[in-house]
Amino acid sequence: MDITILIGGAAGQGIQTIGTLLSAACCKAGYFAMAVNDFESRVRGGHSFFKIRISNAPVYASRESVDLLIALDKNTWEIHSPSLRDNSVVLADEDFSSSGRIVPLAFEQLAKETGSNLFINTVAAAAGLRVLGAGPATVQSTIKDHFSGLKEDLLEKNLDAAQKGFEKVADVLFEEQPLAHPSVPKGNLISGAKAIALGAAAADCRIGAFYPMSPATSIMQHLTDLSKRLDIVVEQAEDEIAAANIVIGASFAGARAMTATSGGGFCLMTEALGLAGMTETPMVIVNAMRPGPSTGLPTRTAQGDLRFAIHASHDDFPRFVFAPGTPTQAFEQTRKAFYLSEKYQVPAIILADQYLLDSLFLLEKPFFIDKHVERFIVTDDDMPDPGGYERFAVTDSGISPRALPCKGKALVKVSSDEHRPDGHITEDIAIRNTMMEKRRAKLPAMIEELDGPETVSPDAHTLLIGWGSSAGAIKEATDLLRDQGADIGCLLFSQIWPFPATAAEKMLKNNPDTQFIAVEMNAEAQFAGILKENTNINFSGYVLKYDGRPFTAQFIVDALKEKELA
Amino acid sequence: MSDKDRYESAYENQWCPGCGNFGILGAMKDALAQLNIPPEKLLIVSGIGQAAKTPHFLKCNFLHGIHGRALSIALGAKLANHDLNILVNSGDGDCYGEGGNHFIHAARRNTDMTLLVHNNQIYGLTKGQASPTSAWGMTTAMQPGGVISEPLNGPALALTMGAGFVARGFSGNKEHLSGLIQAAVQYKGFSVIDIFQPCVTFNRVNTAQWYKDRIYELDETKDRDDFGTAMTLARETGDRIPVGILYTKEKKEFISQIKGLEKGPLIDRHYDPDRLEKVVQEYI
Repeated sequence: MDITILIGGAAGQGIQTIGTLLSAACCKAGYFAMAVNDFESRVRGGHSFFKIRISNAPVYASRESVDLLIALDKNTWEIHSPSLRDNSVVLADEDFSSSGRIVPLAFEQLAKETGSNLFINTVAAAAGLRVLGAGPATVQSTIKDHFSGLKEDLLEKNLDAAQKGFEKVADVLFEEQPLAHPSVPKGNLISGAKAIALGAAAADCRIGAFYPMSPATSIMQHLTDLSKRLDIVVEQAEDEIAAANIVIGASFAGARAMTATSGGGFCLMTEALGLAGMTETPMVIVNAMRPGPSTGLPTRTAQGDLRFAIHASHDDFPRFVFAPGTPTQAFEQTRKAFYLSEKYQVPAIILADQYLLDSLFLLEKPFFIDKHVERFIVTDDDMPDPGGYERFAVTDSGISPRALPCKGKALVKVSSDEHRPDGHITEDIAIRNTMMEKRRAKLPAMIEELDGPETVSPDAHTLLIGWGSSAGAIKEATDLLRDQGADIGCLLFSQIWPFPATAAEKMLKNNPDTQFIAVEMNAEAQFAGILKENTNINFSGYVLKYDGRPFTAQFIVDALKEKELA
Repeated sequence: MSDKDRYESAYENQWCPGCGNFGILGAMKDALAQLNIPPEKLLIVSGIGQAAKTPHFLKCNFLHGIHGRALSIALGAKLANHDLNILVNSGDGDCYGEGGNHFIHAARRNTDMTLLVHNNQIYGLTKGQASPTSAWGMTTAMQPGGVISEPLNGPALALTMGAGFVARGFSGNKEHLSGLIQAAVQYKGFSVIDIFQPCVTFNRVNTAQWYKDRIYELDETKDRDDFGTAMTLARETGDRIPVGILYTKEKKEFISQIKGLEKGPLIDRHYDPDRLEKVVQEYI
């Protein structure tokens, strides 16, 4: 079984509630699920949809075809009916056409009978649950679980609305009935945004500073929720510039700290990124990529900020860049970003994107929590002469002992100008060169910290090369093509910078006849370019997409076939 | 104990001879000695500009950061460790120009720290352009026809944004300035002193004599908790300019309102894997 449910309507109609409810029910019934959230940059109206894929096997990307369409408005029918299959079922608020597969369902009228058209989402969710095979008890318990925080009378009204929706679809036969055959749950659904916030908490992040910007805000919302129970303080700054500098100040004083923003906000933060680079202050920035330039498509997804993240701010200084592809990687790499940022005293950037942050993925294994978090801070006790402490002492590793201000006799002196080992400004040529070399001396060890790509059939003749959250769709496309007999594999990078050349080259140089194809959500194949610079491999083709909508496996397969690359 | 020598920095001073900043530096050392804040318990945060170089010339912990961002860095440091004594040194361009937005919000937040604005009404480090506080009509190489915008009034702006301690000082009166700095540091909240300071190289209008001719000290025995009076005093920038505390009133301090910080500084908390594990499990 591998079915796709699409719930569409206007913003404000409760699309997300219906989607979350249905996907949670399927998850609880033991199925694998993933869901994407597609919406416009507006609060009311327009067209939004939530697309859920349910399967017996793990799924990491969305599909094009739709098996069950829940259309809360005519717009949804018009936009999505081309994706329907012959046997698809449509639950629609009106009888939009004479098509026999539409089950007219007066969502709005049924909701109003319950008391308000606010209950449309509950009516629709219950109808959807029943079509998927849920019995009355499952529908009731799902609604109760979801609305457990509501007051008693409101909960009753929701249950009433659910009953109405449930009854109206009694005769609808859907070929798959997943909820009629429940088994043991495989895990919980989790968004990339939640995974990053939890990763930060697990890294012992104490301070979050942010300025609201889609699609990064949800990360800071989760961190704020966590701050109610953990030693975390989140501050909404007056702008992204302040947010990034708050992080630097907090980190300088000794707390692990982060900020999250999107491309436009990251533009403003590049000044602070340079400050962190020059002052060797740890900082973690999440850049939640969305299409640009400028404001671009605020609620859509992209992988267009890779070159920007790697080169942001002026002159050269080392930094880490991660691009997690799944919530598990998002959690682990966020934790790793904090650890490495502190260990090497360099900034770490996590490149997420709207697709990773706003979609729901099934988390099979619980996140691992460290028993101990390693810190890289020295005190007076670690120094023979605290009075002579030098924040930027020259060492072979390039890493200087980092003390905290006002925590002992050692005075911590830090300057954004080029500085002497003691932190005071200098324009001395020899010291400038020494300091530049000291900062860059960290690079070889930094590279060794990063893992190479995840691979599927790396010895194949054709290798798809991807990074970040496109990994799921690329893997699925590889599987589809292999099933059709193609000699194809893929290499998926998620730890990007400093470029893990040694780890990558091992996989890239297996066969001199290998054909490499870049699959990226940007117009210039940014990662392919980086790979070429660092490994001398050449690409035979490109599958690029920059329309703001995520990859599906079918899209990649079709594009490869069209270009006669597979 | 009031040994000023303990704040002496071995680092060579880079200000021009006769710079008004020397008066501010001297007043700072005196105030710190009077308050008995030892160098190792003092954090100075600054931006960019001649004023921002101050911490290099004084023995202390410091972060000399980037243009206009000192207040944001100071806020971050205070959130991480609210036991820190933080002084921020900024110039009129650094604080009111590049850092204007942060200044506004720092006054709103009322975080316990002291901001000293070295106000010489000109850009010194970049060699003589108009600053946000330059008088209307002042001519410079970059404003040959004269400044055509109204000067920014730091104390008045701070007052309207809710600052609870607003003062004006003059670098030429070190003793008086030291007293202001002491009062500002002791104020529980965001305290700002806009300090007039002659730029001997680039500002030919607002010279030491120009200030001396206009400045008068406010009566220190008077309560200064009336907003209207404070605004009137803040706007008195013509032939007579008052120096002293323009306004001081108890207000809700920022850190003290954050529930998560009641248990003490964040940096002193221990990592607790068991609690974390429980919270993470429940949150998923």
